[in-house]
Amino acid sequence: MAIVELKNVTYKYPLTDTPVLKNINAQVNEGEFVAVIGPNGAGKSTLCYTVAGFVPHFFKGEITGAVEVAGSESSKSNLHEWVLNVGLAFQNPFNQISGAKYTVFEEIAFGLENIGVPREEMIQRVNDAMKLTGISELADRSPYSLSGGQQQRVALTSILVMRPKVLVLDEPTSQMDPIGTREVFGVIRALAEKGMTVILAEHKVEWIANFADRVVALHEGEIIADGKPSDVLTSDLLAEKGFGLSRYTSVARKAKAMGMWQKERLPVTLDEAVEGFTLTLPSPKGRGE
Amino acid sequence: MNSLSIYVARESGLHKLNPLTKFVLSLCILLGGLAFSNALAGYVILFAIVTPLAMFGGVTKRMYQLVFNISWPLILSVFLIQSFFWGAGTPLFEIGPVSPKLEGVLFAFKSSGRILYVMANFILFSLTTRPDTLMISLKQAGLPGGLAYIIVSTLQLIPQYAAKANIILDAQRSRGLETQGNIVTRARALLPLVLPLVISSLLEVEERAIAIEARAFNSNRVETSILEIPDSQSQKTARAGMIIITILLIAGRFLWQLSS
Amino acid sequence: MNIEISNLHFAYPTGVQALRGISLTIESGEQVAIVGQNGAGKTTLVKHLNGLLQPTSGTVQIGDWNTKEHSVAKMARRVGYVFQNPDDQLFSKNVGIEVAFGPRNLGMNAEQVQRQVNEALAMTELSDKTETNPYDLSATWRKMVALASVIAMDTDIVIFDEPTTGQDAANIARIANVIKVLRERGKTVITITHDIDFCGENFARVIAMSQGRILLDGKANDVLGQEDVLATTYVDPPQLTRLGKRLGFKETVRNEEEFLAGLKK
Repeated sequence: MAIVELKNVTYKYPLTDTPVLKNINAQVNEGEFVAVIGPNGAGKSTLCYTVAGFVPHFFKGEITGAVEVAGSESSKSNLHEWVLNVGLAFQNPFNQISGAKYTVFEEIAFGLENIGVPREEMIQRVNDAMKLTGISELADRSPYSLSGGQQQRVALTSILVMRPKVLVLDEPTSQMDPIGTREVFGVIRALAEKGMTVILAEHKVEWIANFADRVVALHEGEIIADGKPSDVLTSDLLAEKGFGLSRYTSVARKAKAMGMWQKERLPVTLDEAVEGFTLTLPSPKGRGE
Repeated sequence: MNSLSIYVARESGLHKLNPLTKFVLSLCILLGGLAFSNALAGYVILFAIVTPLAMFGGVTKRMYQLVFNISWPLILSVFLIQSFFWGAGTPLFEIGPVSPKLEGVLFAFKSSGRILYVMANFILFSLTTRPDTLMISLKQAGLPGGLAYIIVSTLQLIPQYAAKANIILDAQRSRGLETQGNIVTRARALLPLVLPLVISSLLEVEERAIAIEARAFNSNRVETSILEIPDSQSQKTARAGMIIITILLIAGRFLWQLSS
Repeated sequence: MNIEISNLHFAYPTGVQALRGISLTIESGEQVAIVGQNGAGKTTLVKHLNGLLQPTSGTVQIGDWNTKEHSVAKMARRVGYVFQNPDDQLFSKNVGIEVAFGPRNLGMNAEQVQRQVNEALAMTELSDKTETNPYDLSATWRKMVALASVIAMDTDIVIFDEPTTGQDAANIARIANVIKVLRERGKTVITITHDIDFCGENFARVIAMSQGRILLDGKANDVLGQEDVLATTYVDPPQLTRLGKRLGFKETVRNEEEFLAGLKK
């Protein structure tokens, strides 16, 4: 069942002439994990803000069409009520720390305080959320004393604790080192497996290929592909438009042109590439002694 | 703690008091002390009131360290200026044109007592009270929530911006910017250092606003608090009592001055 | 101009030992990538190259200059340093003036400044944006302005700190091209990066750091092939290196060309 529905959405930021999103039609089903890819400036962040209600409630500007989550419509709601439907976390973890709190535990409770959750329930929910994202041991630390990956997990937990129906993540690992990336992806994957509906804008294609249910490709404000990761991430159209694809896909495309890739479908992941190229190698057993 | 706050966590009776009680106590010590003009008044308050309170809070050593670090240049200059530049009075000794006066030294002694107790009083309050708990109490007492947020987050963010200013300084020096030298050189260096800080802070403000809105900051529901701020009837009574005593002291001081 | 670092130790005022004995020679014209987890000491190390940090002990020599004896502004004649976040340095009303700031500080005359600015803008594909305010550009293009503003200083050594963070494929290709042009001009390029595929494709020498020490240092293929050692500083080998290993290639490969050649063998 569709939980998020974008109907013919077109949007212009204030004081601009060109729409950043053009006739977007898309649905996300409950429990689905959808990745959004596209070059910088394609409209990924704007799409995230639109589902999360910040377009148009925060940014203003001109929007047509409808954004629906769980049957209610964004334009008829208030931002502070809409954020209870859709949680948003974004790139820079440092800017997501409220600044008003001295410990991680209190930081995570900030949103619950704002919506008036009773103290006993709040403590329970904060503890549960920290357990879910594996940061319980950080509870008493200052949010400013943490590494980027830890801060980003605190930001995610601070949103999760409010129990949104949909989680929107705008390139949450783009500023992380490899450990931070691993930590944050680990949490996202665990949430998706638990049945959370996740919309993730992301550049790291190999990871998407392994874990997302669906990939939506945005180009100049339009959806140009929408489907299974193995189809979208190997499509010639995306390669032509200069999308960042996995090295396995690019090298196999070249190998195919040289007659050294025999399968119909190009690989996205390491395992697919190994499987496909093994067919090309003359005597696989004679190698790698 | 990465904050401008000098708060030191302790499990003391003083730490456990309601922040408003400490706030009122601190204010009363400050104002009440000014009601006494005796040369020893500052020292009496420092040793008989503030120091025992600091011992109660387990922060005596830290308090004196900070008091000393902050106030010694001030006290030294007060002594030098008052003793050497006091107009007419009893000379203590003479070396050429220099002749410190007894009255000047006494005045400096009195002023130093005041500097010390005012500093110690303020530092003791800061050492034992977390800014956020004070803000929650003030909010419960009627301070607008947005204002409380701005005060607490600013205290936490200033050190972060100081770190950012250092990065900008490094980035521009790496582009050959001279930041040391005469006034003209320094003035020229100002814009390349200040503008990136201002602009990038403005860019960040938008992200920060989005982040707190995403956590329903502007919700119109009645807020709750994760921190329990302890309070009691006896503390409320004590606060009222302290305020009354302070008003009486100040009033007494005025009447005494008028009559003499 | 060679870089000579000998027995460099550095401790922050907080007492944290960030560098624990680094000895290193980088010859004129080399392209070096430095990899390793956050906190390994990568940024601390490169900040010694233009005097932003001074050794607690040991020496750093840039050509015949000891970094101890010159101000950072003076070192800027030999070492250009592009910081990670462009917003920490952009302040001018248009791109042209911004890029001219460095060369002017170095005392080039108007004609030289103009030539350097034009070349740097062409290299970063910014020539059509000379009159634009840097803050009217997207973050992606602001990054290119920051690159141009340092390249225009025409230093023999150029340092990039995490140039590809937050960039898309098209811009990473632009940055790779900038590095290629710098190589052709004989410049020394030192880049800190977490982007290991970018590292494999653009650098002939790789240094892996861990806990203030050099873990591995050598030809890119030799370093990137050592999966187990790299894992201790949380670095995965490039995708094509891993694929070559899994397919049983005898030699380590690190880019498409080498991989396809390996496939033919």
